[in-house]
Amino acid sequence: MRDVYIASSSMINVDRHFNRGYKELAGVVVKDVIEGASVEQPDYIVVSSMFAESSLNQLDLATILTQHLGLKPVPAIRVDTGESSGLAAVEIAYSLITAGRADTVLVVGVEKATEFPTRVTNRFLSKVLDYEVEVLRNITPPNYAALIMKEYMKRYRVSREELTIWPVKMHENALRNPYAQLKFKITPSKVLNAIKISEPITLYDMFPIGDGAAALILASSKVARKSGREVLLVRDVVSATSRPLYLRDDITRFESIATLISMLRRKYGFRIDDAVYEIHDSYSIYAYIILEELGIARRGASYKEVENLVYVNVSGGLKARGHPFGATGVYQVSEVYNIMVKGAGGVRFDGTFGLTHSMSGPDYNSRLCLLERVV
Amino acid sequence: MDAGIVGWGVYIPRKRIKVKEIAELWGFDTGLVNSLRMEEKSVADIDEDSVTMGWYAAKVAIDRGGVNPSEIGAIFFGTESKPYAVKPSATIIGDALGISRRKLSSDLEFACRAGGEGLRISISLISSKAVKYSLAIGSDTAQANPGDVLELTASSGAAAFLIGPEREAIAVFEGAVTYVTDTPDFWRRDCSRYPSHGEIFTGEPAYFDHIVNSVNILLTDLGLKESDFKYVIFHQPNGKFPLQVGKLLGFPKEKVLPGLVTPMIGNTYNASALIGFARVLEQARAGDRILLVTFGSGAGSDAFSIVVKEGIEQVASRGPTVNELLERKVYVSYSSYAKSRRLIERSIGW
Repeated sequence: MRDVYIASSSMINVDRHFNRGYKELAGVVVKDVIEGASVEQPDYIVVSSMFAESSLNQLDLATILTQHLGLKPVPAIRVDTGESSGLAAVEIAYSLITAGRADTVLVVGVEKATEFPTRVTNRFLSKVLDYEVEVLRNITPPNYAALIMKEYMKRYRVSREELTIWPVKMHENALRNPYAQLKFKITPSKVLNAIKISEPITLYDMFPIGDGAAALILASSKVARKSGREVLLVRDVVSATSRPLYLRDDITRFESIATLISMLRRKYGFRIDDAVYEIHDSYSIYAYIILEELGIARRGASYKEVENLVYVNVSGGLKARGHPFGATGVYQVSEVYNIMVKGAGGVRFDGTFGLTHSMSGPDYNSRLCLLERVV
Repeated sequence: MDAGIVGWGVYIPRKRIKVKEIAELWGFDTGLVNSLRMEEKSVADIDEDSVTMGWYAAKVAIDRGGVNPSEIGAIFFGTESKPYAVKPSATIIGDALGISRRKLSSDLEFACRAGGEGLRISISLISSKAVKYSLAIGSDTAQANPGDVLELTASSGAAAFLIGPEREAIAVFEGAVTYVTDTPDFWRRDCSRYPSHGEIFTGEPAYFDHIVNSVNILLTDLGLKESDFKYVIFHQPNGKFPLQVGKLLGFPKEKVLPGLVTPMIGNTYNASALIGFARVLEQARAGDRILLVTFGSGAGSDAFSIVVKEGIEQVASRGPTVNELLERKVYVSYSSYAKSRRLIERSIGW
């Protein structure tokens, strides 16, 4: 199999970009990432967006963006796997290069989520669940997060207060991230007393709605060698789907994450304590469970270990960096790349591995991207 | 400019509904009500509309000014809830008050700041000596979709200002600016019963951006700074925004609170900042400098700098004060409110 490297990355700040459309957002990062990689044109373009057909009334986003941005008429494909679409785009790009179908692939994640009132955006977002089975029964993503949180608290005898540590920490981290949407500190009492989204989840237990765009250039060693970018290897991108929540024996487990991480440990000698992480903390309860499934923290006790986690969600995570849906997975890889290669937010990781985790819904699908320093 | 305030008047419907009752009915989190700093809102009854309320406020303004209505040469009625879609409301009020028929008269529409535009036009007419007195009225029975977050604040009320030459005024305008852009943050389409709004979009790029701009331009034009003002009144769509924008501009809470009436009566739209301004005039002393800032969706903001003159207490005493109108209240249930505001209509056949 051919090696795949990250040749460059680009992000814009996650925000309510009221005065900029998706083409403009994507245009900024595409221009930047192509210049950064010192390549003329990519061989292939992979675009991710979670709900472009709903929010932008646009199908075949990849072709339209390629046309609009004036790129060479290379093959372009749009990827949708719900909230993990961004990392799915990286997965496809990785596969294209390993399979020898391309030497440089442009990955663009873009989402315009602030064009509508919240209730409409929520309606779009809910479609990551089974529309006929779950959505029509008025189950929304935060409802599931609330059920899981209640069960977790009961099972492990954890108080609501104890589970405020994650969002507080994420807001602290985001203060150092110039691309973060929520750059302010919060306290445990602010989390507890905020507006209820779905009991016991409050506003500060979940991601804000924001627009964003991020881009990557992935390159084969042939291309990366020429520009001296054989630094950070995309070792693998793996993914799995899982059963719907109502068919699970234990709703406090995200089992596909455990399966994927053990595969990476076996195959690549991935070591938990020699890695920097970006995880998909769409709801704070999910962060605790993901930490446990990845083996970073003990089951039912991850909240006790959050304080000491230096290399997890340096960006502020979905909670505070923001969650521009289809772009989020691309942001995560860009952030880990920055931390490992040049440092970001005053944090630089000199160790071996970088791991990003992205998922849709409560682990309806999960994806892991393993990055490895080779120089 | 040679223009000032000769008289003012306010009307607030007697009926009030507790905002928490609306929130509970629709399942809003009480945290939301608290974060908006809302307590109660006024409810126009079945026999009150923007014209009747505007008429009352204008009558008090004329009484306070001690002016013969026949000397008033212009009347501007700022509203977004006129009883007639086509047919001026200003003429109804003008004739009912016995104002000269040789007058300018029109209804102005600019969401919540048409009243402010009425003030600006009046100042120009007086300064240019085109008319002797001009009446600027802001009045609304604001509509809100039942169950929309807007329903927690949309209310009813009116305020009127009689503008005349500086020598007769008890408060003079020393500067006024307007800042307007095309920003669709809130609108009501033709034939729609209720307005739509862009949620958070009504905040930062609309309310905050326009107010900050109009105030900064005014301060630069006049060479004034925040500390030169004793009071500042902002348009008040809820109890929170005026304090936030005050903080943003460097005005302490103490200067904003005297003119902040929305927590007690709701957002009276075109009367919102103007009722707050009237309340401030009723406690101001000679020499006080006041900053009045309107905002209307669509969007625009007027900023006025006003200096109070001698004799204001005497003029204030010639009519019911805002505090008296705030105290004059009777609580109604949601069902009674729904009937008064025609959210439900009686249907008895035939």
